[in-house]
Amino acid sequence: MGFEEFAGKRLNVKWLPLYQRILAEVEKEIEIHPNYADLQNQFGLLLAMKEEWTGAESHLLKALHLNPRYREAILNLGHLYIEMERWKEAEGIFLSESRKHPKDGFLHHILGTFYLQTGRWRGAGFHLRKAVQYYPYYRDYYKKKRVWQKGKVHLDEKTGSIFRKIHLNYHYAQFHNFIGLYLARKRKATQAIRELQKAAKLQPDQFLFHSNLGTVYYHQGAYQKAIQEYKQALKIDPLYGMGYANLSYVYGLMRRTREALGHMERAVRLNPRYADLHYNLALLYSDRSRYEKAISELKKALRINPNYLFARINLGVLYEDQKKWKEARREYRKVLQITPEDEQLRKRLERIS
Amino acid sequence: MLKEDFVIQTNVRRILIRGNVDYSEITFGTVRGVVYLRGIFRLARIYTEANAESIEFTMKNLQSLEKKIKSIPGVVDIVFEFINWQKEKGQWVSKNLQENG
Repeated sequence: MGFEEFAGKRLNVKWLPLYQRILAEVEKEIEIHPNYADLQNQFGLLLAMKEEWTGAESHLLKALHLNPRYREAILNLGHLYIEMERWKEAEGIFLSESRKHPKDGFLHHILGTFYLQTGRWRGAGFHLRKAVQYYPYYRDYYKKKRVWQKGKVHLDEKTGSIFRKIHLNYHYAQFHNFIGLYLARKRKATQAIRELQKAAKLQPDQFLFHSNLGTVYYHQGAYQKAIQEYKQALKIDPLYGMGYANLSYVYGLMRRTREALGHMERAVRLNPRYADLHYNLALLYSDRSRYEKAISELKKALRINPNYLFARINLGVLYEDQKKWKEARREYRKVLQITPEDEQLRKRLERIS
Repeated sequence: MLKEDFVIQTNVRRILIRGNVDYSEITFGTVRGVVYLRGIFRLARIYTEANAESIEFTMKNLQSLEKKIKSIPGVVDIVFEFINWQKEKGQWVSKNLQENG
């Protein structure tokens, strides 16, 4: 199996057996779960790839009806309108998103290239500059494309033509990413990696493709490669908190807990509302005998999710270690009220009662 | 014996993600080498457990999951607290089936 690469040209997928199989599967899943926005979005993307514009639009709109803040579906619809040459609707979508997220460099990049395509140089220059301002990664990218010269945006007919068909890269990249994830679920890791690499090549500024590549390598047990891809994703978007958590999990599997700790601390700083990350950080502190810090993280996890039973059990065990019997008993009793059949815990409680 | 809870936790996480399990409804934790798993045990892309074939398949997956987790260095015990499956006399039993007689 292999999808040919035609950056800037239309990709003919209609007759590819794998494409047909995936299309049929997603259609079947939609029959079972018609209200799953991600399925509607996937189907819309698949239809767009074979130029069934009306069908694609209808499914992407359904996805957005189910989840109006579904960013991927919003961007897919915007790019679909570009392909359909419905410029005003495309512009409306990207401008509206950009107003909601004024510091999103990727949206400014899309708007910049959109204005280049439509010959509106002033708008293009404005948004490309903003893209570089909020997302420094684009400076090198534009330099390579000769749009950024001597610290300024440089636009002329020649540079404009480079971006004329660049919107196609977006859909193809999304498509290869989707196929890659599908193959990964089917445990066809080698093929999945090939597809995800194509996605990353078409759209090198998308941290998600590198993150997905990292995850497939992680599943495959290729930990060094997983680390490399997760790090690349974080180079593109240093505020992607889950990227640090993923790195931490890989280091954990490699028993490199010192690195795991550093990355998990960063993940928690960026995502302070994720109880699970506090829990993992607590385990790392506890394993290194930093009990006060571990207790503090477990308490944070429990403040976010008071029903986080394991966090409560870990907390009880740490109190027990510190001979804080009353606190340990309190935590164990709370857990046993919910899971009275937990013999391990009952024994622990009996031992300190 | 090694009891690095975080290392065990990351191994359990990878086993769940790599397997056929729909891990979206499972939570898990590690306490001094004891692994806890709670929630609903379902296999991904199996929409019903009503037929004998699905039940048999799910049982085999539970056995395999248990074996894999036990083989992680440092694991001293596993506590399963699934809503829909429980272990009785060494055998996995579907609670739904028990309730329906």
